[in-house]
Amino acid sequence: MKRVGKPVFFIVAIFIIVFTAVAFFGISTQFGDVETVYIKGAGDIRWGIDIRGGVDVTFKPADDAVDVTDAQMSAAEAIIKTRLVSQNINDYEVYTDYSGQRIIVRFPWKSDETNFDPAAAVEELGETASLTFRDGQGVDDEGMPTGEVILNGSDVLTASVVFIPNELTQITEPAVSLELTDSGIEKFAEATGRLAESNGVISIWMDDTMISAPQVNEQISDGMAIISGNFTTESATELADKINAGALPFELVTDTFRTISPKLGMGARDAMFLSCVIAYILIVIFMIIFYRLPGVVAGIALLGQIGGTIAAISGFFPFFSSFTLTVPGIAGIILAVGVGVDANIITASRIREELYNGKSLDGAIDAGFKRGFTAVFDGNITMVLIALILMGAFGTPDSFLAVLLKPLFFAFGATTEGTIYSFGYTLVVGVIFNFLMGITASRLMLKSLSKFKCFRNPALYGGAKSC
Amino acid sequence: MLKIPKIKFVENKKIYFSIVIVLLAITLISCFVFGVNLDIKFKGGTIVTYSYTGDIDTNAVKSTVEDAIGFSVSVQQSEDFATKNQNLVISLTDSQHLQMDVQQDMTASLVAAFPDNAIEKLSDTSVDPSMGSKFFAKSMVALVFSFIVLVVYIGFRFKRIQGWTAGISAICALLFDICMVFASFVICRMPLDDNFVAVVLTILGYSINNTIVIYDRLRENQRLHGKNMTYAELMNLSINQTLSRCIHTSVTTVTAMVTVCVVAIIFGVTSIISFAFPMIIGMISGVFTSTCIAGPLWVTWQEHRSNKKANA
Repeated sequence: MKRVGKPVFFIVAIFIIVFTAVAFFGISTQFGDVETVYIKGAGDIRWGIDIRGGVDVTFKPADDAVDVTDAQMSAAEAIIKTRLVSQNINDYEVYTDYSGQRIIVRFPWKSDETNFDPAAAVEELGETASLTFRDGQGVDDEGMPTGEVILNGSDVLTASVVFIPNELTQITEPAVSLELTDSGIEKFAEATGRLAESNGVISIWMDDTMISAPQVNEQISDGMAIISGNFTTESATELADKINAGALPFELVTDTFRTISPKLGMGARDAMFLSCVIAYILIVIFMIIFYRLPGVVAGIALLGQIGGTIAAISGFFPFFSSFTLTVPGIAGIILAVGVGVDANIITASRIREELYNGKSLDGAIDAGFKRGFTAVFDGNITMVLIALILMGAFGTPDSFLAVLLKPLFFAFGATTEGTIYSFGYTLVVGVIFNFLMGITASRLMLKSLSKFKCFRNPALYGGAKSC
Repeated sequence: MLKIPKIKFVENKKIYFSIVIVLLAITLISCFVFGVNLDIKFKGGTIVTYSYTGDIDTNAVKSTVEDAIGFSVSVQQSEDFATKNQNLVISLTDSQHLQMDVQQDMTASLVAAFPDNAIEKLSDTSVDPSMGSKFFAKSMVALVFSFIVLVVYIGFRFKRIQGWTAGISAICALLFDICMVFASFVICRMPLDDNFVAVVLTILGYSINNTIVIYDRLRENQRLHGKNMTYAELMNLSINQTLSRCIHTSVTTVTAMVTVCVVAIIFGVTSIISFAFPMIIGMISGVFTSTCIAGPLWVTWQEHRSNKKANA
């Protein structure tokens, strides 16, 4: 570290500029319509639902569900995931908090759908979707089915949409065909055999709604059951999807939910981006006016810090998975940049002070970084501590920090306030890059620059005009 | 020689403490005058925003919605600053959480009743009251735990300058900063929401950083001049030596925040304004408290301790 050669400045500066450019724009090739992304850029950042619109909902078991076990909760989680996929929502986050018995689901607005109804989507997620085949079509006073259950959803292997001709009109209509499990085949054969003798009726129910009630004319022993009724292709597909996804062990109702239309959020993102650019330019101008050469170096280091943070969010580094950026997350970046400016200011003003105290240029630069470091270090570590507490308190229930802080927050359940978590994350990442850029890279660049004859004048470092 | 200001921070402490008391009194009074609004994220409730075109009769909207969902609601009109769209903000009078099917009834009945107004749901937030108060309690525990961790860290790192007193002095300064952020929310009539939590935590980090820079210098000066100078002299020297850094850092960060605030106003992004403005207040407060409160408080405490030791 003692000897830093002249070329070091250019190496570090070019490295930072190239790195930042790559972090922002990414590297991808366009071949016809196929775009291959080698390195993800800022354009690939996953924006939080407060920016691009979407749904954030917390489910809990309905009040009449008692003795909910952990196994049932994870079964419910798995079913919700299947249902999300069958609704064509692949970019979802699902977390289960076992102690609080909550399931948190977050998914963005589907980009290709203009009339996407999030309320309907959420309602569908929470439905029990329990399929039953019942003996007869009897109902009680409240319209609940009373017939003995012949088959339920777990007897079904797969459901698919088929097109069969209507018996009366001979027009081809959509219907749902069920392939039963072995035990299902047995039960179905037994029941149809029994009911065929009396020309009985089997009613088919989805939760508390009767879909159809066909008459049994003959025993069905091949395990092929077909649900026909007034289906459109769409409603038949929907029913088949529901049956395939399986039934929830209990009904889920919402505890909190938030939906935001994408029309609201993107303005916030653009505004934040624009203000970041303006703020950066203002800060660099300020730094150059007050601290001259160290100000220029600080500007480059800051650029590297921002680039590094962007890279850590977009999934640039293989060891950082990409991260959802929210409005408070952007605030975390701004705060980290503020801390980064501060590190440069502490050092630069210390260098100036040492110059006035009569130190040589090299001595002043060394002393400035050395003495400034303790203040920067302690300030940054306290930031990291606060950020880690935030991430533990408001992060996903199974993350390392959340487990660590569990004794403290166990009483409050998992809130996974994603927006605050995002703040903690960007702050930690920003501070780490501040150590790399604001301290290490700045020192390398400044020491290297001071080897050039034209940069030997202490006035360039804020010192007295004459040597 | 480099000019180092010679402001007698410790001797002026009465002025600073009076300013603190006056500002705290103003905060307290404004709490009573304006009332403290909790966002539905904390207290539970439902707010739905619709966009619409043309003219709409809010009373008709109110009765349509109340018929559809069976709860009393309040209806407000607002205009989106950026897009010039008309918005309807419908909030439940009680802090109630609406299930999805009720919500859908509400939207459907509005669309049916006002077919010419192209009603479209923009956003909706609905929180169960028990969930909201849990979130609030959790935020508070996170805050208190942060305080404890900070005191322990400062106590450990700044042993040379009696870390515990330093840590607690710093926390006193922080508490005042938080009061100022709180006051800016109350006076601007903004409900306390998750932005409030985010701002408070940011200010926590920002203000403690300012204080630590001063403590760091104090630690160094203690080593250099500890034998020849009193606590008050040491503190004054340390604050004055770090003053230019403190002002420069504040100018840059406040400039950044003002930029954010101005751009947000131009674009009409209210969620960012309610974030950026209290942040500016907190940052200014942070500079004031770390220079004028945390330092003098530490000196007062140290002098009190040495007096006690001398008397014993």
